[in-house]
Parts: sequence; C-alpha cells; structure tokens
Amino acid sequence: MLTRQISIATPIFLMIFVIQESVISQFRLPGGGFSVLMIFALTWAVLSETEVAAVIGFATGFLMDLSQSAAGPFGQWTLIMLIAGYAISYIGYGDDNVRANATGIIFFVVIANLLVEIGYVATGALLGVSAGSFVQVLITLFGMSIWALLVSPILLPIFTRLHALVFDSRSAL
Amino acid sequence: MRNGGRARLLLVILMVTSLFLITLDLRGVKVIDGFKQGSQTIMSPFQRAGSVVLSPVKNFFSDVTHLGRTRNQIEKLEAENANLKQRLINRKNADAQLKQLKSILDLAGTAGYKVVNAKVISNGSSQSFSQTITIDSGANAGIKKNMTVLSQFGIAGVVKDVYPTSALIQLASDPSFRIGARIAGTQQIGILTGRGTRSASLQLLDNSTTVKEGDVLLSRGSIANRPYVPGVPLGYVTRVDNSAGAVAQTATIRYYTNFSILGVVAVVVSGSDSNPGDALIPVKPRVTPIPTVTVFVTPSPSPTK
Repeated sequence: MLTRQISIATPIFLMIFVIQESVISQFRLPGGGFSVLMIFALTWAVLSETEVAAVIGFATGFLMDLSQSAAGPFGQWTLIMLIAGYAISYIGYGDDNVRANATGIIFFVVIANLLVEIGYVATGALLGVSAGSFVQVLITLFGMSIWALLVSPILLPIFTRLHALVFDSRSAL
Repeated sequence: MRNGGRARLLLVILMVTSLFLITLDLRGVKVIDGFKQGSQTIMSPFQRAGSVVLSPVKNFFSDVTHLGRTRNQIEKLEAENANLKQRLINRKNADAQLKQLKSILDLAGTAGYKVVNAKVISNGSSQSFSQTITIDSGANAGIKKNMTVLSQFGIAGVVKDVYPTSALIQLASDPSFRIGARIAGTQQIGILTGRGTRSASLQLLDNSTTVKEGDVLLSRGSIANRPYVPGVPLGYVTRVDNSAGAVAQTATIRYYTNFSILGVVAVVVSGSDSNPGDALIPVKPRVTPIPTVTVFVTPSPSPTK
C-alpha cells in the first residue's frame, strides 16, 4: 500500500518540480508569480491525513530547497513546508466544510500560500536572508496571493484527481 | 489517539531533520552543495529546452506590465505584429539576442575585458524573494564563482554558483546584492544595494561630498577583479535624499539594465590590465538638428498692360 503510494507520488512530485523550474520559471511574472509545486503540495495537504500531509510538506520543501532560486539556507523551505503541510491538514482534515467543496479548498490553499511566504520572510530575517524593502515584500506577497487565487481553481481538478489516483481506497484491495 | 501521537512523533522527527539540514548548510558542509549541484546538472537540459520552446512568449507578461509606460511603442508594434507569423517571431527573437550580444561585446571590447557569452535559460522564481537567472555556460566554459556579469548596458549581476554546463547569476536587483560604486567624473565612492526592482539605493561613504540627479555610477572594482571589474556602468541617480542629520548621504539609482528582458549576458572571465575609467559610460542620445531652409521670394513686378 505504502510502496504503491510512494511509487506513484514520487514521479508526480518530480514532474511538477520540473514544470516549475523549466516552464513556469521562464516567465518573469508580475507580482512575484506563483509556485505550482507549492499550490500542489498545499492542495494535497488539505485532502490528506496529518501524517501524510507532513511527509508531503517535507518532500515539497526539500525539492524547493533544491531549486537554484532558493535564497535561504538548505532546509529552510523544508521546515516551513513541513509545518505548513501538517498545520493545514490538522485544521482542514475531517472537516467536510473544507474538503467537500472546492471553494473551501481554494480558500485554504490561498491563505496557506500567503502564510507560508510570510513564514519564509520571517525565518529568513532570523537566518540573515535579505528579502528587500518592506513595501516590496508587501507587493510580492499580495501578488503571489492573487496568482494563487487565479491559478488554484484551474489546477484544483487535476490535483484532486491525482490525489484520488494515489490515495484511492481501492488500492487496498 | 494513537494515530495522533504517531503523527506528532513523525512531525518532530521531520522537524529535527529540517533543522539538521539548516545547521549543516549554515556550517558550509559540502554534501548540501552536492545536492544542489546534482539537481542543477539534471535540471539544466530541461531549462534549456523550456527556454527554446517558450522563447517567443516568455516576455509576454513583462510586456503587459509595461503597457502603460510604453503605449506609443506598443501601438507601433501592434501595427507591425499584424503582419508577423511564427517564423518571423522566432527571427525577431534571434535578432534581439544578436543586438544584445553585439552591444555587450562592444562594451567588453572598449574596456578590454575577456568575456564568455551566454544565453539566459531560466529566470529564478520570486517565491524566495531573490532575483536570479540561470545561463547556459558554466565551469566548462571557464566561468567561476564571483565573476562580473554584463548586459548590453552595464552590470547585470554576479556569478553566485557554477555548474559544469550552467551557472546561477545573482542579479544586481537582488536585495542582498552589494557593489562598491563611484560617481563618474568625481571620485566619490559609496555602496549600491539592490531593492528587488530596477531601482537601487546608494549610500555615500563620505558625508561631505554631494551627489546630484543624473550623476552616472560606475563599479569601483575589487581586488584581482573579483567579484567586480572596475568601470562597469551601473546606473544613474534619480533622486537624492537630503535628510538633515543623516550620517551618510543616500540616493536612489535606476539601473541601466532592464532585468526583465535579459536574453544574452556576458561573464567577465578576465579583467583588463588597466582601469577603463569613465570610458564605458553610455553615450546620451544627441538631438540631431533639423536643417531649416528659408526661401526668400521676391515678387516680380506685375506686368502692366
């Protein structure tokens, strides 16, 4: 069961990481753009149990740390995404008001996306990573949230189908 | 309850692992660098392919952002675009890169720099609040860490990391970018800091000196020309902050380089023997006088009948 889930989920994560780094990163989007990998991980975290969400967050953060554009020390994204994955699942899992409707998931993902970025700036300040002027950071945070709000509804059906493919209960048969 | 306890235990284990990774990285353990180097080696062919495939459309969003400021130019381009086909777009892209490359070579040639030219294959994500690009040349082409990177107009950034066939460039707009600068014509020196946009802030080291709008800034240069070669145009002063009681005078600078349209850059692998001084300052556009022709007409006497 676990082997099957990992063997399907790993190439999906790697594929999304490659898309992020080689396609999305080609565009210098206004307002900071978006991370399809982060949106993917947060969507899966909403839909998963806390244990699984923590592992998803850890794996995603590790991949984000591997990205050449990661400015902070290796492990910073891993830590933040791990906490974000666990927290979003802890709050959202089992609550059908969140899981059973698309609006709830999108709301959770967008808010989590914003909080993750704030967390990154805050921990970056502690670790000595420059993030620019306060105004610039605010503009980027606002821009990223808008992008997440625009992109999440489009990607949600794909991400939820992929989640069902990996964590479908029929796999236990 | 048991499941909740197991989840918490897993969370603690993964958090400790993350903190362990951060500690290792901050202590400069090479294994962590190996991870990043390996991933970049794997990723660079994908980035190269993505750059080729997306080259006709990658500047689309940047163009949209500047819509208001370049309305006249866009209206002119719209008229031209009606006649363009896909092949012509690709050709235009190649021509633009050629023009950038020619300007870079002119700049490097004037200063006597030995450069390695490279194409930009990826723009760094802004998720980490950093400004970086990846180029398609690396250690195999003689590029090393901490080398100056030029655009067609002046400074583009500095080499942050090098891989066999690619390199990561920290753009001059990055908030953690710092460079020693001097004002052209005078020897006033200061430190230029990126702000995450095309503007930067200059902090003069001597408070008794003055700076004024329009002053041009050049790089001061570093020991053994690394990370910065001297004389590279940085930008010009757009605003001077004259706050009373300030310890050091500060000013706002606009970079010559437009970081959102970088297609080709050059890495200075060897500086010139002599300091080029102010020789690289971009020439201001000169107004060409339009000759006016005055014609004097003397009416001929009307014929008398």
